[in-house]
Amino acid sequence: MVRNIVLLGGNSHPKLTENVCNILGIPPCDRILSKFSGGESRCEIKDSVRGKDVYILQSGSGSVNDNLIELCIMISACKIGSAKRVTAVVPLFPYSRQPDWPYNKAGAPLSKSIDTSSKKDYTFESVPATPRPGGPRSSGLTNGVNGLAEKLSKTNVTDRNGDYFPKRSDTISSLSSNVSGGANPDRALTSQPSFTTHDYEKPTNKNVFQPKPGYKQWVALAGTLVADLLTCAGADHIITMDLHDPQYQGFFDIPVDNLYGKPLIQNYIQRNIPGWRDAVVVSPDAGGAKRATLIRDSLDIDFALIHKERRPIKFNEHRNASMMLVGDVANRICILVDDLIDTGNTITRAAKLLKREGATKVYALVTHGAFSGDAVSRINASALDKIVVTNSVPQEENMRACPKLEVLDISPVFAEAIRRVHHGESISVLFQYS
Amino acid sequence: MANEIKLIAGSGHPELGTLMASRLGTRVASTTHVKYSNQEMSISIGESVRDEDVFILQSTAPGEVNDGLMELMILINACRSASARRITVVLPSFPYSRQDKKDKSRAPISAKLMANMLQVSGCNHVITMDLHASQIQGFFNVPVDNLYAEPSVLRWIQENINLDDCVIVSPDAGGAKRAAAIADRLKINFALIHKERPRPNVVGRMILVGDVQDKVAIIVDDIADTCGTLAKAAATLNEHGASQVYAIVTHGILSGNAIDNINQSCLSGLVVTNIGDKVERCPKLKVIDVSGTLAEAIRRTHNGESVSYLFTNAPL
Repeated sequence: MVRNIVLLGGNSHPKLTENVCNILGIPPCDRILSKFSGGESRCEIKDSVRGKDVYILQSGSGSVNDNLIELCIMISACKIGSAKRVTAVVPLFPYSRQPDWPYNKAGAPLSKSIDTSSKKDYTFESVPATPRPGGPRSSGLTNGVNGLAEKLSKTNVTDRNGDYFPKRSDTISSLSSNVSGGANPDRALTSQPSFTTHDYEKPTNKNVFQPKPGYKQWVALAGTLVADLLTCAGADHIITMDLHDPQYQGFFDIPVDNLYGKPLIQNYIQRNIPGWRDAVVVSPDAGGAKRATLIRDSLDIDFALIHKERRPIKFNEHRNASMMLVGDVANRICILVDDLIDTGNTITRAAKLLKREGATKVYALVTHGAFSGDAVSRINASALDKIVVTNSVPQEENMRACPKLEVLDISPVFAEAIRRVHHGESISVLFQYS
Repeated sequence: MANEIKLIAGSGHPELGTLMASRLGTRVASTTHVKYSNQEMSISIGESVRDEDVFILQSTAPGEVNDGLMELMILINACRSASARRITVVLPSFPYSRQDKKDKSRAPISAKLMANMLQVSGCNHVITMDLHASQIQGFFNVPVDNLYAEPSVLRWIQENINLDDCVIVSPDAGGAKRAAAIADRLKINFALIHKERPRPNVVGRMILVGDVQDKVAIIVDDIADTCGTLAKAAATLNEHGASQVYAIVTHGILSGNAIDNINQSCLSGLVVTNIGDKVERCPKLKVIDVSGTLAEAIRRTHNGESVSYLFTNAPL
């Protein structure tokens, strides 16, 4: 029984709230949390929060925007209700991973060769185009080897992205034909298949957007914004788990406790994977290498890495998003380790590659199982033998749909973190046991 | 090229954006709004906003208020990080405007929260229309222009209704001022309905103050949500002998079974502004175009002219 503490659960994950409450020995805070018929969220807190230490549990799953605004409203309601301190407990942080679509990993625009036939369209009103990689540095220098390479690549690139770039930049005539007006892209998008954060791997989806010629298009990043919104609503402290980017903590001006799923995953490996001492820990991309090596270090087993080559390569090779394995996995058990599984694209492809390289069994241990889109059916059909996630987002439905899925309970970790934050004890101790 | 009007429209109501753009002699900046399968959204702005005067229009569709809000805030933040000179949010119907006070213990003042969140995302100016409570302007630390649909409403009444035996009715005490102002401008009589509201979206008893016998009653209000109030008010007016009942509201949210409520009610017509995006039309629904007022407000704000002219006049 912990005193003077109020645990308020959002609508996103009632089961986790219940579990954490049971462990802490307190009843969950009574609240009304619904929507007005107009779609605005309605929140009323029934129990007193005056002078209390309030913890609000809401995960970034399901309808992310609803949950985020709901969380902000709850925080604000507690603040206005004279709560002493409000801590947002967000197991899966919303908008923590924004993709680099439609750009490739290097951040450069997709290469494009200048269509020579459009030279005719040149008028004196035209503004010089913004120089971009792939375009000629000046009109006289594209001969020799360079010109050959471009000619070779042109067939391929223009075939795929024929209508992606305008014929030629910035002449008045091409501008007017390229005006897309805010309304049209939206309407066009509704007929598109669903987008995923892996869309840079689907070249077909790159065709839908037509930026103003010469303008380097970029994608808005909501990371700082979400941090600002939570702070502005009145959160004094954030508890989250396995942030996709560790730098995310720096977006906040308030303390952020980033819990790790690593101890849970490590325990699972030691208890449930027979012959784990001879297994190989594999990171499905370079970004997760650090996470995987940490597990390798504490378990003292081998490590391999899958390198994703996302750059569109010149010439006629279709090597978009090809994968390379670094390390030896032949006749061994592979344990893929990652922080977030969304569409399951990366992890299923990695599993396929590992099986092809001779792995006997492939496990995937992932902290957050968001499973959006057709992720579950993709995993069912994949070469993965077992997939283990935590219940940072509700997994009941996925459990029913996916026989390969196993769920680890994170409520003890969060309950302990809440207890320690409340009493002002160290959190880092939580991660020192093995 | 610097410091020109750059109009960006959210996905809530693209038609309004196009209308306003054509009045401003510009076009809506091309943007992509993508919703990923994990329901997070991503936005990219297809043209440069560096050093431009950016106006972001967002009208939140019913049922997707929170999505619209997040989209708006991401747009604002995107423009700010793309070095826009000034970011003005054109939010014709301010979301959460009815939760503007702490009416119960521990109830949130969501309107204040929205004001804070918009400012945190980086907006420098807000243009809105017929705020539910004009005190919401005080929630902001940035300038707020609260426009009125009243001039457009007056014009509609003058053009469509015979003013000889007409009476303006306010459906609740809160809207009395708004209705009285219209009645004064038209030099006609005014009546008031007192209502009791036990729970949100539910209306109790109604008492009519004033005479509506054999007259055309025009109910004037700011928000029509489920239209339960309007239907009941219309029934009350009918009982008291009104020959015809019209209702004019600025914000036609029309959520839930609003359309059914209107169709079954004794209203002869419901007039809304085109701020809301209504997918299912109903035969009794008539629409006033206020894009002129909004566009003119943008033009005046951009050129540093006075906006107060618009409070009494509707641009043609």
